Amino acid sequence: MSSSPTLARDLSSPPLAKESSTRLVFQMALRDVSVLFRTPWIIITRSLAFVIQLFVFAFLISGLIHVPGLNFFQYYAVGSVVATIASISFVIGYDIFEEAEEGVLDYLLTLPISRRQFIIGRALGGALRAIIYIIPMFLVVALIEGFAQPLSIISALLSLFLLAFGVTGMSITVAVSVKSANRFDVVLALLELAVSRASTALYPITFMPLYVSVFAPFSPVSFAADSARASLVGFTLDLPAIAGLIAFVVVFLGLGAAFYFRRLEGGIYS
Amino acid sequence: MSIITFDNAGKRFGSLDAVKDFSITIKDGEILGLLGPNGAGKTTLMLMMGTVYRPTSGTISVNGYDVVKHPNEVRKLIGIAFQDPRLDGILSAFDVLNWHLKMTTLFDKVERRRRVEDVLKSLDLWEARKKRTWLMSGGMKKKVEDAKILVQRPSIAVFDEPTAFLDVPSRLLVWKMIRQLRDEGSTVIVATNMMDEAERLSERVAIVNKGKLVASETPEQLKGTVKGGEVLELTLNDGSEFKPGLLKEFPEVHDVKQQDNKIMVFLNSGTLLLPKIVDTLSSQGFKIESVRLKEVSLEDVFLTYTGQRLE
Repeated sequence: MSSSPTLARDLSSPPLAKESSTRLVFQMALRDVSVLFRTPWIIITRSLAFVIQLFVFAFLISGLIHVPGLNFFQYYAVGSVVATIASISFVIGYDIFEEAEEGVLDYLLTLPISRRQFIIGRALGGALRAIIYIIPMFLVVALIEGFAQPLSIISALLSLFLLAFGVTGMSITVAVSVKSANRFDVVLALLELAVSRASTALYPITFMPLYVSVFAPFSPVSFAADSARASLVGFTLDLPAIAGLIAFVVVFLGLGAAFYFRRLEGGIYS
Repeated sequence: MSIITFDNAGKRFGSLDAVKDFSITIKDGEILGLLGPNGAGKTTLMLMMGTVYRPTSGTISVNGYDVVKHPNEVRKLIGIAFQDPRLDGILSAFDVLNWHLKMTTLFDKVERRRRVEDVLKSLDLWEARKKRTWLMSGGMKKKVEDAKILVQRPSIAVFDEPTAFLDVPSRLLVWKMIRQLRDEGSTVIVATNMMDEAERLSERVAIVNKGKLVASETPEQLKGTVKGGEVLELTLNDGSEFKPGLLKEFPEVHDVKQQDNKIMVFLNSGTLLLPKIVDTLSSQGFKIESVRLKEVSLEDVFLTYTGQRLE
């Protein structure tokens, strides 16, 4: 065994991480993103599955559905990317719940970052991770759609990012509010089902039964899907949809932080 | 000068008081041992101090900052190494420590690497620096957990059972590195349920039991509170009929405690009294399986204060 370190020479007063909140939020986010890059096979296999789903399932279905003025293959292509990013964004909640059960969350909470920054960092990390994850699929879809100009891509990605940011906030809210693992799984699965399926991501609102079509226009997934389609096909900005997405982000990041303060520091996981 | 003050601090989970009316002042630059059995409330105390849990009663201040009102300021001062390693399993030991430094200091990449390398080499983990922590043994994980605080060098370093799962050479090394941390100016708090760790590492020991502070002095002062200065340990084959009054008749005997078939006699002049005690017990029909005469240890102190053994 080697000798102990001679650290005393210049370590007596280490610089503290002060006045660097942006840096800390960014580091917290990068921690979640780095997990993705340590398991690149997940991106590769999921991308392959997406390509097969698109060019087999969607291609076949679009041959069966004939709607005047609608190319269902193109419609489904955009929607499936949006539904995928929503699904991936929910994963951060599972991560946080698992960290709480394993005690890693206690460690993270001792770090010199405020609770609000912590929530924003985790949501940002989850959203960035989701965006990176779907980029290969998104590029395939953008080519299928025949995007008008590079700004179309940026605009569509912005919508997807806002959706991912809000969904991660929603997922974190659930993770810090539900104590039982079983209940957490059920609640998150139901939420995912509700926001993705009761939306205009995979089928137009005109084909939905009334009890779904009433809610679908207000789903954040609908906002993102409609906005991304508007951007990619003809480059128009769907401002109401983007406003809806921003409201979604604000509400759920706020709720995440509020629930966090109220429940987690009270020792919900102890 | 005090740096941490617990003032009637308490933490209640539902109907359970994990910590109750806990008051202590921790001096700047000292090593304080928190000694208590599992479930005594040591970890809860540390998590309240580290702003993870909010106290439900009383106040805790760290360097003048109230942990509830100014948690961000408190977090900048404290580093906690947990009892069970809290590591990202997918990360390597090097990455865990490097990220910890990114979050807790403003060191540049070169300085971060130098610190991590120094500590990992000292802990004999340098060769395994790229190994994902979930693939490491319990002892290696524990060393990585301790290493987080050893690379950070915070003003207040908290170690929860720092040498659990470690072999003897590693324990001695970690103790040495913790002392070095204190020598550099850190205040160190070590929670432990190991008597030798508390005795050899701490300048002051706080005995915690059932969420309450039972006593707080230097190890020597604590031993001095036990009357007699010697302890006679007797193991009977059957202690069910034993009555402490039997031995309290001797003026040299100050106290007698019993746990099952083990009798602890706190006394002085033990060498002279030993044959008389053995004769007395034998004449009453007790069969003595073993006898041991020793000086008072922290273990005896703990037994005296709490009425129970720690290990």
